[in-house]
Amino acid sequence: MNKKSQPQPSIVSQTNEKVNTWAYSEIVKEHFLNPRNFLMGDEAQFACDATGIVGNPICGDQMKMFIRVEDDKIIDVKWKTYGCASAIASTSALSELVKGKTLEEALRVGPEEIADFLGGLPKHKFHCSVLGHEALSAAIAEYHAKKS
Amino acid sequence: MIYLDYAATSPLLPVVKAEMERVLMLELGNAAALHSSGQHAKEIIERAREDVARLLNASPEEIIFTSGGTEANNTVMATFAGQKIFVSSVEHPSVLKSAKARAGEFKEIAVDKVGRVNLKRLEEELHEKPDLVSIMFANNELGTIEPIEEAVKCCKKYNTSVHCDATQAFGKVKIDVKKLGVDYLTVSAHKIGGPQGVGALYVRKGAKLKPLLYGGHQENKRRAGTSNVLAIAGFGKAAEWCWDEWSCKKWGEVAKLRDLLKRRILEEVPYSNCNSPSDACLPNILNMSFRAAEGESIQLYLDLAGIVVGTGSACAAGDLNPSHVLMATRHDAEVAHSSIRFSLGLDTTEADIESVMAVLPGIVEKLQGISTVEVKEENE
Repeated sequence: MNKKSQPQPSIVSQTNEKVNTWAYSEIVKEHFLNPRNFLMGDEAQFACDATGIVGNPICGDQMKMFIRVEDDKIIDVKWKTYGCASAIASTSALSELVKGKTLEEALRVGPEEIADFLGGLPKHKFHCSVLGHEALSAAIAEYHAKKS
Repeated sequence: MIYLDYAATSPLLPVVKAEMERVLMLELGNAAALHSSGQHAKEIIERAREDVARLLNASPEEIIFTSGGTEANNTVMATFAGQKIFVSSVEHPSVLKSAKARAGEFKEIAVDKVGRVNLKRLEEELHEKPDLVSIMFANNELGTIEPIEEAVKCCKKYNTSVHCDATQAFGKVKIDVKKLGVDYLTVSAHKIGGPQGVGALYVRKGAKLKPLLYGGHQENKRRAGTSNVLAIAGFGKAAEWCWDEWSCKKWGEVAKLRDLLKRRILEEVPYSNCNSPSDACLPNILNMSFRAAEGESIQLYLDLAGIVVGTGSACAAGDLNPSHVLMATRHDAEVAHSSIRFSLGLDTTEADIESVMAVLPGIVEKLQGISTVEVKEENE
């Protein structure tokens, strides 16, 4: 296995046995530890053209996407998330996946693609990728509504 | 690794491990057999029974070994199948769900903000003459100690049997079944440094009991199945060790560390709140919630920093519903999703608390910073 390109599974050091001690994929871990494109603190610092928010903290997950659009292309994207590791990783991954894409292309980035990009999500966490997709769709819908 | 999830399971005590290794090497027969190797196994089991009984001030014949707390709780509920069973709303799922599944009539007894049963309320419920009331000795998520002795007195006036799930309190506070007057009491080995997969049910002499498992004559015909000698031996050793440790008053030291952690979190972590009671609480449990930061994320960031804690969000465990305990006490799903349970052990040191405080404020601030939820002080 190429060490540089492939993340290594976590190892319990006391034994010779190789044990994976992380519940999610290594890519989820990477996006959870080092999330991309998040919006820290005050939302007003990011001048955007539209936002979309889905979920509810009562349910344990809430995501908000902020998009900046030029010529129907997402030229910048930021997000905020309240939720578990897979929720944070899903929004982080989605922001990477759609940056630079046209609005039409971005809408086609579905939950499966987000989950695949993350190396898979546990069954009971798949809704995190669904929420991400819905938040972006809501932002794009708001953009279209504002324009018309 | 800094382990602060002792309430979930506590690591095997070295003396327990040594005892289990010793027993593993013996050529033991089936404890139900009359030959010498069977009798050797039986002797090991009966010694363990005495050790567990002594820790509860019970007679050895009042102790039934089970596969754990869940089986012990289910056995009691099955005994009262079809009857009227009332349980506190903060019971462990193995009480709540098994009572609900088996009772002819089922009711949850409401609790206050820290999960404590109100005795006046209990007395009102008792007017309905339940056959069994089940109240835990101390809550596993919050540490709240219930007024069991007083509750039993109330129940006895109405001829109601009482079960107490003491799984979490066992070995940490004094439990005297005679003084408490309970009819049934559940304990588990792995919360006191014994092995997983073994527990016990105390059944007061004269109290009825219907076996959950029928078969052989084991456990005085009250729990069939070949005895798990190895695990029972480990359980007995852990109970013996707890008995000796009490004189050292070490749990008082643990409570001081817990209080230190609580004070420092409240001072240093923004928008933090304590869900555990400040009085009558187990010495080792501290449940905190952090506004706008989700519990599983805090837990996993801490895990990646080498610190192991529990969460009330239950998100990681495959169940997306927030903790029923925090829902019953705080009635706020966001508080429940944003909570962390720190549970300390006798090995916990002040340096461990330091290590937690070196990373926790930063983790919570980061999560609050990227959260969609606006941070604000909780209204008390």
